Amino acid sequence: MYDFSLLPDDSLLALFIALVLFSVAFVSFSIVAVYTLIKTTIYSKKHKDKLRLICDVAYFHERGKRENQEDSVYISPMDKAEENGIIAACSDGMGGLLNGEVVSKYVTDSLSEGFPYKFDDQEENSKIICDISNKIYEQYHLSAGATLVMVHIFDEYMNFYSLGDSNIILIRNNRATLLNYKQNYITLMIKKYAEGGIDTTDAYKDGRSKGLIDFVGNLNCNVLKTSRPLRLLENDIVIVSSDGVTDSVPLNRLANHIHPDQNATGIARAIKYGVKARKNPRQDNYSAVVIKMKRSYV
Amino acid sequence: MIEYYTFKHRGYSLEYRDEVFLRLVPSITVALFDGNKLESAPKSQSLLFSEILSSEEGRKNLTDLNDIFEECLDEKSEYFILRVVNNGIECIRKGGVCAKIVSKGQITLLPNGFYCLDSDDRVICATDNFFKHISEEGILADALVADSCSEWMNMMVRRISDQTQLKCGNLSAVTLKLCK
Repeated sequence: MYDFSLLPDDSLLALFIALVLFSVAFVSFSIVAVYTLIKTTIYSKKHKDKLRLICDVAYFHERGKRENQEDSVYISPMDKAEENGIIAACSDGMGGLLNGEVVSKYVTDSLSEGFPYKFDDQEENSKIICDISNKIYEQYHLSAGATLVMVHIFDEYMNFYSLGDSNIILIRNNRATLLNYKQNYITLMIKKYAEGGIDTTDAYKDGRSKGLIDFVGNLNCNVLKTSRPLRLLENDIVIVSSDGVTDSVPLNRLANHIHPDQNATGIARAIKYGVKARKNPRQDNYSAVVIKMKRSYV
Repeated sequence: MIEYYTFKHRGYSLEYRDEVFLRLVPSITVALFDGNKLESAPKSQSLLFSEILSSEEGRKNLTDLNDIFEECLDEKSEYFILRVVNNGIECIRKGGVCAKIVSKGQITLLPNGFYCLDSDDRVICATDNFFKHISEEGILADALVADSCSEWMNMMVRRISDQTQLKCGNLSAVTLKLCK
């Protein structure tokens, strides 16, 4: 215990004044902090629509059980996001063909060199992708190829581009939807069966039907693209991934791995360990860029 | 100018109980009838539906037309009628048959009454059995990617097929694009 009676009166007075001043400062700080918190909450609720929607981005890039890493990802510089938007792409070297890792890396490197892209010029952007494909064709003549999925997000709008069977997934209200359709023979067969008025079971039975009808490395490829942008909402999650992710965690179970309050890093980690937990002995390379849309003052 | 594409599929059922009706003059009219909830004579009800629409009474305004349907059709009949008026559309619906509109990168349910259209807007009218197997985000993404109404429909059919292999009962839908 302290014996304050031993202190001189002046020191006691000084201590008392210091205590009073500290209490006043603490109370004032608390009032200001609470006031600011209340005001901020009211402001953000009132002007929710005026707050900017920004991208929280994370990625993973795993080899799985394969010897080579044939996936390649690209994320545009974040410091240019306000000016040029965000580009996220994933390219997957085609299995069974040569130089998968070289081609997929070439695709993402070429996209990186071409940055920035005009958000509203989807035709020009798909032409750039087509030129990359033609260059690969000239070099390999269909003996090498890759898939490509790419999203371009500017403010609260998103354009997407796709070649092959990789995934652009939108998770909204805890439900995952594949945005790009897969460019394989199943698509052609379904069209034919549906026009004939019959069911499409046989289209899925044929193992060869998963073969791609278009990919990067094909001559004058047909890039799947949005002609007008899709509007994104707060808390939307966009996943740009190779098929190694959805082969192990199917689309209908993807949302189960995610908690709505998680940030992009948490979501990426959850999906990565979700794939790993499957312990698939033939696990393909699996890579994804995860983008979570959130509102911010910044 | 209008671009449209219709899709009708038995969906592994014994019979096709829906009806898709299109009329281009004097004004563009699209109508869908869903007879799957009817217990008896669904075919006669769908024929009656088409007959009324192609008769002189089919030219009446939608409220009057709805009254006629209420009077003549089985109460469990479900239908949707859309008519192009000036620079917009008006529609009326009963039951689960409805339309969704893709506009400015978003998708919304088309309400009963008049709706003003922009040049790039696209509309899909379908039975609830068609919408049941496809998410709104899927419809939206396909509408934004497709160059034509037929391409849009084929993409959506692919989605339904991925879920059901088209063994899900009658499927009926119309995709529309109004070009100024």
